Amino acid sequence: MSSKNSTTSNPGRREALRRQQAARAAAEHRMKIFSRTAWIAGITLIAVMVGVIGWSVVGAKSNQNAGISAGGSAVPPNATSAGALSFGEADAKVTLTVYADFMCPYCGQFERVNGEAIDSLVSDGTVKLEIHPMSFLDAQSNGSQYSTRAANAFVTIAAADQTAALAFNQLLFANQPSEGSSGLTDAQLADFATQAGASPEVVAKIADLSYTGWIDELTQQAFNSGITGTPTVKINGETFTGDVYNRGPLEEAIAQAAGGE
Amino acid sequence: MSETTLLQRARGVRQSNGWIFATMLASALISLTASFVLSVDALILAADPQAALSCNINAVLSCGTVANSWQASLFGFPNAFLGLVAEPVVITIAVASLGGVRFPRWFMLSAQVVYTLGVIFAYWLFFQAYFVIGALCPWCLLVTLSTTLVFTSLTHVNIRDGNLYLPEPASRAAQTFIAHDLDLLVVAVWLMGIVTLVGVKYLPLML
Repeated sequence: MSSKNSTTSNPGRREALRRQQAARAAAEHRMKIFSRTAWIAGITLIAVMVGVIGWSVVGAKSNQNAGISAGGSAVPPNATSAGALSFGEADAKVTLTVYADFMCPYCGQFERVNGEAIDSLVSDGTVKLEIHPMSFLDAQSNGSQYSTRAANAFVTIAAADQTAALAFNQLLFANQPSEGSSGLTDAQLADFATQAGASPEVVAKIADLSYTGWIDELTQQAFNSGITGTPTVKINGETFTGDVYNRGPLEEAIAQAAGGE
Repeated sequence: MSETTLLQRARGVRQSNGWIFATMLASALISLTASFVLSVDALILAADPQAALSCNINAVLSCGTVANSWQASLFGFPNAFLGLVAEPVVITIAVASLGGVRFPRWFMLSAQVVYTLGVIFAYWLFFQAYFVIGALCPWCLLVTLSTTLVFTSLTHVNIRDGNLYLPEPASRAAQTFIAHDLDLLVVAVWLMGIVTLVGVKYLPLML
């Protein structure tokens, strides 16, 4: 059919048709080259991104080895065998146990609502407060291991000065960095320690990171004992299931526990 | 020689209705599942705020702060409800098309417009979670991934069948683009970009 057509059409039309076909072939050819170039560029880009991921993982691993794990494994003098720091009268009627991580946003809410009330109950002798400063949210601070650094500062201060430690605990939660940020810097932690009333010698000791090993251990110990998250609050060993994010219920439960005995 | 034909055959399959709508169906099912899980979580959260208001040992990527953010219920109800409404429609389109139904152009265009809004919303949420909230949730990432695949398969079929009422040159250019599998390349690079963003930020933290 087509050959018959082409023989019957005049030479001008044949020429035009041929030109059109040539143009189409050229366009096709250009598209082929473009497509091939795009595929090569795209696959290269994907390979580069795979490399970036690998590089960031390797970089983080070497960082980790050079970082905090070089810290000490001292056990704080006021530690309980369960891995807590004890505050207040040893024979207080109520033992209040708090599992918290300085990076945990809900622990921050809990402390900002109840912190003051708890501190005054500790100072008037009603409550013995046991704090487990955990570090499992280390992964949420851009590799700066804020949970461990903050907990170490807290433990260091508590070893020397209980009042300053409780004030420091409240300051850190009042100025809590957001989850996933790099957290407070070491300098900021030192500033808050000073502000909380820790002596310059104690503040200087924070940088030794003496307690990181112990914090790591107590975090494991807490999870092994059945703690599933933070904040976990216990009154005389029993998990408090009431509302800890509004003022009132916890204080009532403590008052009940204190009066009931 | 046989390698070329194999590649050609694979490319043929990729342009076929079966492949496109099967991809759409699978992605929509994943997205629906994730939306369902997120909706149930939202209900639990609403019924008992205490339940989710803690940092769980298993929460590798976040403490549930994503679910409690204002972005998580932008329209006054949990975003995941939108997935429960939209994905069954996509599933119906995919199943019917696999069964040989051809929808009118205006219908496919409407589906394209609505789903485009959905995918824009999904990415807005992803970037909010990544850069503003600073925490990711695994189910939300699954939604981002699967909505992307639904969107690309829907766009693929609509360009192939000329459902988008594009001007002739644009339509032809888009069809050439797809015929050379360049849409596949764009999706691959795009998804790899998302994986890289997430990986660079969160992989080192999980070691």
